[in-house]
Amino acid sequence: MPEPTGVIHDIGYQRYTGPRLGRRYVFGALYLHGVRTAFGLGRSAKAKIFPWLVVGIVLMVAAAVTAIRSQIGETVMTYAQFADSMSWLVIFFTAVAAPELVSRDLRSGVLPLYFSRPLSHADYPLAKLLALVTALFLLLGAPQLVMFLGAAFTSDGMGGVWDELLDLLPGLLYAGLWAAVFASIGLLIASLTGKRAFAAGGIVAVFLMTTPVVGVLSILPAQAANQLAGIASPPTLVQGVGVWTMRDLLITDPDGVVPDLGPFGPVYALAAVALVAACVTLLLARYRKVAAR
Amino acid sequence: MSTVSWITVRGLFGRRRFLLLLPLPLLLVLLAVLSRGLGVEPTDWGPPVLVGLGLAVVLPVVALIVGTGVLGAEIDDGTVVHVLTTPLPRWQIVLPKLAVAAGVTAVTVAIPLFVAGLLADSVRLGLALAIAAAVGALAYSALFVAVSLLTRRPVLLGLVYVLIWEGLLGNVITGTRVLSIQHYVIALADQLAPTDLLSTTVSVSVAVVMTVLISVAATFLAIDRLRSFSVAGETS
Repeated sequence: MPEPTGVIHDIGYQRYTGPRLGRRYVFGALYLHGVRTAFGLGRSAKAKIFPWLVVGIVLMVAAAVTAIRSQIGETVMTYAQFADSMSWLVIFFTAVAAPELVSRDLRSGVLPLYFSRPLSHADYPLAKLLALVTALFLLLGAPQLVMFLGAAFTSDGMGGVWDELLDLLPGLLYAGLWAAVFASIGLLIASLTGKRAFAAGGIVAVFLMTTPVVGVLSILPAQAANQLAGIASPPTLVQGVGVWTMRDLLITDPDGVVPDLGPFGPVYALAAVALVAACVTLLLARYRKVAAR
Repeated sequence: MSTVSWITVRGLFGRRRFLLLLPLPLLLVLLAVLSRGLGVEPTDWGPPVLVGLGLAVVLPVVALIVGTGVLGAEIDDGTVVHVLTTPLPRWQIVLPKLAVAAGVTAVTVAIPLFVAGLLADSVRLGLALAIAAAVGALAYSALFVAVSLLTRRPVLLGLVYVLIWEGLLGNVITGTRVLSIQHYVIALADQLAPTDLLSTTVSVSVAVVMTVLISVAATFLAIDRLRSFSVAGETS
């Protein structure tokens, strides 16, 4: 038996010695991809129809409000009221975007690929949540910016612009609250199913079925129940926090129907914080253990 | 019961996801019992529960989930090919599926509405609501089955109709109510049991004609679309 003659040739394989991008870069990439996905950017025209339909409607409303204000001088709605009057569209946008963000990954079974990267189990849901919050904030904030620009260019002097800015900032904060509450609920529901259709239906069902609960609670023959009724539904909960913190900006019509909070304003704020915290906790628990399917 | 409808029923109830259909009707009954038990006037709680929850949310959402589930789910996961390759005329595929969708929706929605109507006013109102909801279930199901053949995203298109057309525009521009199944159902129920709990601007004759028209047209559209159905993978 001859001696083995095999040799190992050095054909120049090299180790990668450059900088490694690591966890923060993965998080950033996932976040940016999430924001783009929410609006259908970088995808086919079909994926852009529904998000941009909603964006188009809100921008059109903002343009109309701006035009009416600059031509007739009548303020149809303040910056903070904008989010309130668009609540149905916010629900629809959440139902469009949240399943795109998480349900597709569940259905195509790519989560093990994500988690084989230097990405902790909390990072994936948090990046997606942050992306959805950003998308919703942009959806509600951009029209307010349009309204602000319209008002700023028609107002006289820097004082007028400054006043407008002071009105705009609480409006933007309020939009952020809307975005946080709706995104955390929507993403939690969407993360339960891999079917985008069921996720969208579930999100809308949860948001819509809580609204009549508020209607019934607010006519019960108990004053405390009436004043706490708004907590039962996300849109009225957010509205309650808004009425408590910036009453003058939300209620401009003295004869209109005003949600009566009684002494429970802080309870609304606590409930909103607790709701978001609970949804984020459940979302993290949902992704603690990820099966291949 | 044909094989197609048997397969459809098993597809709907074979998995745990049909449990998703339960919370909405239960909430409807729960709210009605709660309001009645606490002695609130029916004129106060009737409109938000019967119309606001029952006819505006439970009926369309259940019809949407079921209606897009009977055919849309099969198209989604590609198993519709197995049904299409059998030597069945297309109407023998669409009609049983539509019947199952309408039947399941009608049962899920009519029973809680009957209970709520009974608690609100009388047996007559309960029966009227149940019958009107069953008719509405047929129209919604026909519409959503047709939608699930027209587009790959039937649920979202259905939500555009339910949320934006019926929900947003129907309340602002009353003219759009002429094309809103929700208001046909209200008009029908109000005709069968006249009370001051239900009110709409749509007349009964318009409601009847439009309900029949939408059901028949959507069914024919669905049969026609299935005739020239092309099997394609997911694109976007």
